[in-house]
Amino acid sequence: MNIALLTSEIAVVILALLIIVFDLLMPRQEARRSLGYFAVCGLLGILVYTFNQHGASATVYHGFFVVDKFALFFKQLFIVATILTLLFSFDYIEGLTHNTGEFYALLLLSLVGMMVMASANDLLTVFVGLELMTIIFYILVGFDLRSSKSSEAGTKYLILGSAASAVLLYGMSWVYGFTGSIVLSEIAAHITASPAMLLGLGLMLAGFCFKMSIVPFHMWAPDVYEGAPIPVTAMLAMASKAAGVAVLLRVFLVAFADLQAYWLTIVSLLAGLSMIVGIIVAIWQTNTKRMLAYSSIAQAGYILSGLLAADAAGVKGMLFYAVLYMVANVGAFAVTTAVNNQYGSDKIDDLSGLSQKSPFLAVVMTVSLLSMAGLPPMAGFVGKMYIFMAITDKGYFWIAMLGLVMSMVSVYYYMLVVKVMYSKEAKNQQEFTASVSLRIVALISLIATLFIGIYPGPLAELANAAARSLW
Amino acid sequence: MVDFPLLTTILLTPIWGILVLSFMPREADKTIKMISAVTMAIALGLTLYAYWAYDVSLGGLQYIENVPWITELGVSYALGVDGISLPLLLLTMLVGFSTIFVSWNVEKRSKEFFIQLLLLVVGAIGTFVSQDLFIFLLFYELGIIPSYIMVVVWGSSERVSKEYAAMKLTIYLLLGSAFMLAGVIALYVNAFPAGMRTFSMQVLAQAHMMGNLSEDVQVFTFFLLLLGFGSTLSMWPFYSWAPDGYAAAPTGVSMLHAGVLKKIGGYGLIRIGLLILPLGVKFWAPFIAFFAVVNVLYAAFVTIAQKDLKYIVGYSSISHMGYILIGFAALNVISIDGAIANMFAHGIMSALFFAMIGLVYDKTNTRQVLSLGGLAHQMPRVATGFMLAGMSSLGLPGLAGFIPEFTTFVGAFKVYPLHTLLAISGIVFTALYILRVLANVLFGPRRAEFDTCRDASGVELVSLVLLGTVLVVVGVFPQLLMGMVNSGMEPVMALLVKLHVTPTLLGGVFQ
Amino acid sequence: MIGLVHFLTVAAIVFAIGLYGVLSKRTIVGILMSIELMLNAVNINLIAFSRFITPEVLTGQIFAIFTITVAAAEVAVGMAMIFRVYYDRNTVHAARLDEMRW
Repeated sequence: MNIALLTSEIAVVILALLIIVFDLLMPRQEARRSLGYFAVCGLLGILVYTFNQHGASATVYHGFFVVDKFALFFKQLFIVATILTLLFSFDYIEGLTHNTGEFYALLLLSLVGMMVMASANDLLTVFVGLELMTIIFYILVGFDLRSSKSSEAGTKYLILGSAASAVLLYGMSWVYGFTGSIVLSEIAAHITASPAMLLGLGLMLAGFCFKMSIVPFHMWAPDVYEGAPIPVTAMLAMASKAAGVAVLLRVFLVAFADLQAYWLTIVSLLAGLSMIVGIIVAIWQTNTKRMLAYSSIAQAGYILSGLLAADAAGVKGMLFYAVLYMVANVGAFAVTTAVNNQYGSDKIDDLSGLSQKSPFLAVVMTVSLLSMAGLPPMAGFVGKMYIFMAITDKGYFWIAMLGLVMSMVSVYYYMLVVKVMYSKEAKNQQEFTASVSLRIVALISLIATLFIGIYPGPLAELANAAARSLW
Repeated sequence: MVDFPLLTTILLTPIWGILVLSFMPREADKTIKMISAVTMAIALGLTLYAYWAYDVSLGGLQYIENVPWITELGVSYALGVDGISLPLLLLTMLVGFSTIFVSWNVEKRSKEFFIQLLLLVVGAIGTFVSQDLFIFLLFYELGIIPSYIMVVVWGSSERVSKEYAAMKLTIYLLLGSAFMLAGVIALYVNAFPAGMRTFSMQVLAQAHMMGNLSEDVQVFTFFLLLLGFGSTLSMWPFYSWAPDGYAAAPTGVSMLHAGVLKKIGGYGLIRIGLLILPLGVKFWAPFIAFFAVVNVLYAAFVTIAQKDLKYIVGYSSISHMGYILIGFAALNVISIDGAIANMFAHGIMSALFFAMIGLVYDKTNTRQVLSLGGLAHQMPRVATGFMLAGMSSLGLPGLAGFIPEFTTFVGAFKVYPLHTLLAISGIVFTALYILRVLANVLFGPRRAEFDTCRDASGVELVSLVLLGTVLVVVGVFPQLLMGMVNSGMEPVMALLVKLHVTPTLLGGVFQ
Repeated sequence: MIGLVHFLTVAAIVFAIGLYGVLSKRTIVGILMSIELMLNAVNINLIAFSRFITPEVLTGQIFAIFTITVAAAEVAVGMAMIFRVYYDRNTVHAARLDEMRW
């Protein structure tokens, strides 16, 4: 047994524990900014270390935990997302609570949950990783003690999330019962298309779709996104969703590949519905976070549609899309954070006159939103092309068509945001300030979005290698 | 000189301009305008050189550049121009260069304005020089979002609010492009089996010869492309964004949209539609011819009823797109020659028209035909510009508009006699509204309220002189344009002969 | 003779009761209790399968222990959340969580 494969997870846990200890040791009145930097530096170190694991393809604990390129791809995505989220939210977190140390530690622990999910090779590990991530998110969503919205969002997430977990588990129990195993590859070997098996499969699909906020399991997302503190919303949108994708892919393509005929139709309906509902409902939103929540529902639909190809090309598209979606969201949430620091609320109206007060942030917001809409030459366009070409190959042209049309409809509400930023006058003449780290994150998001959009080769190759390691 | 990446330089010049501009302080108004002007001047000069140095006798793609870009998808950074795209590239530069000077009086947030203006130009250049479908797509929609912002911030609300007009323009163009993208995906997946796939337009054009694209696939795919390019070209029934958009947009944006960006639709129909999906084009050609006639006549009738100058030119440009469409639909070398040349001539003409309207509006604060009159007394130079554009629009021999239209009709008559006759009758209506406008606005008794208006002078003259000269030169020496276009069509000839377009339905009435 | 089917039926009934409770209970505490029922149904399932399908390995029973642990963590967080809600609005009625809509 090679414990070394778990190094990165263990390192993140140690980092989180160190932050808790330092938080206790530090004098009460001293600012906790240093803890944030400590977390970022530690994560950077771990990120560098994960590159060291490339090429590994091995399992620990009797095949329960696997480290391959697919898992590493997602782990790196989660770590990068956490680093960027931390960087743009220092000011916000300090305004949010005195217990910043706890906040950082919890965020890191949820990261561990996601990393475990990426590596999970059996249902039990999937479950443990999922719950580790989700339970910590319940806490984080309700972290804003000043706002009753935050506790409301936390409670709703907790109730719906636990119910979804129970459904997922019930599905798992059936799959276990009818295959006699919980390790994915052994499930694949014993799988039969009995009704009970399909029941289990359907319940598990519902559970995963809940985590990814796929329609009709999306009801929690708008409220939770709106009520949660911004960095938590960002992590929910970028990382938690990607983690859901990671387990969904591994479970469905490794364990349930033989039952494709049964789940492909359902998946195509779910993906199509998410695109339609997410985009149509987003049009009427007046809160930036809520708008991004509906947009994230639609984006989840796009990512999910890649599963229809059920081959390496489709998975490559999904991985590629997950990255560019993370990059675009970082930009959008960084700007939302900056505006919130200024005005203390998340209304779309608060973006008024941003192009005059901070042209740079207005451009970042515009580019991020348009990347989500999939307009060339932003990254979102290439991502959609990858996914849609893969599924058109398998005869799902109608989903590609629907996706493209809906993505252009989504430009409508993104343009409403752009209009507010560019044509409305600012509410007041106050100087607009944003911290350096936030601006750096915004710049990274801008450059990465354009770079991936114009020269997608390198990222596509990484995604391709990761996708192939599933087979 | 062979290895000098001329097209990349032309493409990168405005991009450098944008980068430089984004680091300029907002207050440096004059410098910003100077930088934009210099950028466009360099790009225009290089394009003129390319046009001059293009070997017409050799024909085909020249100034080719090819760098592998995304190998697994078969995308390469392939640039090249031929007789079809070079005139349109030149058109982009001429109009782009003029718009800088037309927008010289933009004082409000000039930095953002010029950055976005250059972005529109970059988008157009990119679509015309790329020989790879993927690269084409990257540039295809580049102009839409800047257009939206420019209309909303610098536009004007007359008949409809500028927000409404801008959103309409954006949504129409984007929805069209969604279908176009779907078509491209279908084309890419069906043209070659996995592993050999490519976005190269040249290679895709061979898929038809190799029999990889069945007729059904071509018909379906071209239909999707037609929805996309048709809405860009403001083909009936996807035209209604155009007049509202032009009317609400600031002058420079109207010029670029009506003059250049619209032509991307026609260019796409020929470059991607005709060359890659000939059977699909053949299937849809009768429908396109029908739409073309509707475009010509319907838009001409609507124009007659308009009172706002910008709406008149807006609808008239839709009417003119009908000529381009019918030339395309007739599917023979002569008619398509005419269509391409018409795109160039119409681009210059409508840009000049919008520039002049902009000048008149600046000086008199009105665009209503009825409240203007006798302007030739106070503004002879502006009047000259109006006359040139108007006469070219109604196809007066000696100006750029004549030869292309004539060629189109000659080519199209053989295939669709009835359609062509109807389209030719459109010229009568064009003459009607153009002459009426010119008479109302320019001539008639001198009006005292316009005595304070000064004639165009200084930078305002740049667009007038440049575009006016082009109209006259191309009108007097049509060979400059037609020779180029013809050399571009030569390789297409074999393809067209094979198609054997048979007249159908109404087209055959007189045979 | 009581066999696998009986256990599965009981589990299914318990799960259904729990699901019904989640959808119909008015207080957050009641909903949390219903979720516990659902999780316990899962435990019955897991242990029954473990006993009847794979008697030689204890996978299902270990899984059940994990489920119980996680459920405990969930309830702990849930109770904290309920205190927060009560502190904010003086009630634990689910219908009163209506600050955000659509």
